[in-house]
Amino acid sequence: MAAQIYERLDLAANQLETAIGLFIGGHDRFSVITLAGAADGILTQIVSNRGEETFAEILVREDDDKTMSRSRMGTHVNTILLINELKHMDKHGDGCITVDAEECALATILKALANFVTLRDNEVDFVKAFLLWVRLNLDPHRYNVNCEPNWKPTPRKE
Amino acid sequence: MTAQKYHKSDIATAQLQTAIVLFLGGRDRSSVITLAGAASGILEQLVRNEGKIPFVDYARSLAPGPTPPRGTANRVINDVLGINPHKHMKADCADALEIDLEKCAEDAITKAVGDHVTLHGREHDFIKAFLQWAWINRNGPQVMEEYNKSPEKIKRYGRANIRKT
Repeated sequence: MAAQIYERLDLAANQLETAIGLFIGGHDRFSVITLAGAADGILTQIVSNRGEETFAEILVREDDDKTMSRSRMGTHVNTILLINELKHMDKHGDGCITVDAEECALATILKALANFVTLRDNEVDFVKAFLLWVRLNLDPHRYNVNCEPNWKPTPRKE
Repeated sequence: MTAQKYHKSDIATAQLQTAIVLFLGGRDRSSVITLAGAASGILEQLVRNEGKIPFVDYARSLAPGPTPPRGTANRVINDVLGINPHKHMKADCADALEIDLEKCAEDAITKAVGDHVTLHGREHDFIKAFLQWAWINRNGPQVMEEYNKSPEKIKRYGRANIRKT
C-alpha cells in the first residue's frame, strides 16, 4: 500500500470510532482515552478553523472564572483526563498514576464527541451507538443522557 | 467506578497490546499508530530508567554527523511515523494529509515492540504474535541474513539490550 491523501477529519473520526468501539466492548480504558484524546486534538482545531465554537470555548464561556482562556481551559481539561500522562513519562517520579479510568474514558469520548457533532451530525452510526449506550447505562440524574440543551443535574429522590 | 493506582508500564503494555490486536485484525490503522506512539512515549523512558538503550537513542547514534538532540530526533521520527499528525493539528495545517497508513502502523508498532522487548523480553503473547507476523510477512530469514552481515555499530543495539535471564 502506498501513501494516499486523507482528510484529517476522517483520520480523527476513525480514531474516535475505534475508541467508542473499545469502550462499548469493555476493552482497555487507557487505549480509549488515548484514542479519543488524539481524535479531539484534531477535531478541536478543525472546529476552530471553521469558525465554530469548540468544546473548550463553551466551557470558558460558562466558567465562573472570567480570566480563563481557551488555551488554559484546554490544558486544564487534558490534565484532568490524563491525556498527556498516557503518552509521556517524566524522568523523575515513580511512574504511577491514580485515576478512575472508566470515568476518564467516558469523559474523553464525550469531549471529542462534542466537537465531532459540530462538524458532522448525530446521524453517524458510531455516534448513534454511543448515545444509545449513554441512555441505557448512565444515571439520568447525573448525566444529560438525552442531550437536552438546558439540562441540569438533579438530586436523586430517596 | 473508583480511582485506582496504575503503573505506566502496565498502561503502555495495554496500549501496545490494543495496537497489535487492531493491527493483526486489519482494523483502523490511524488508531494503531496513535496507540503504538503513546506506548512508545512511555516505554522509551522506562528503558532509559533501566540503564538500557531505547530505540530513539540507538537511532540518534546512527545519524550521520553530530548526534541530534533527543527532542529533535523524537519529533522527526514521530512525524515520519505519522504519530504527531494523528494527535496534533496546527491552525495553518492543510485539511488533508498524505500518508502511507499501512507502513506507518507497522513501523510505529515495531518501534514500540523494540522497547517493550528490551524491558520485558518476548514472553507476552501479543508480542509473540506480532513478531511471528513480521517473521512470516517480512521474510524473517532474509532480514536476519542481512542483519548478520551488518557492521558492528548496527548490531550493538540488540546486544546491549539483551536481557540477562
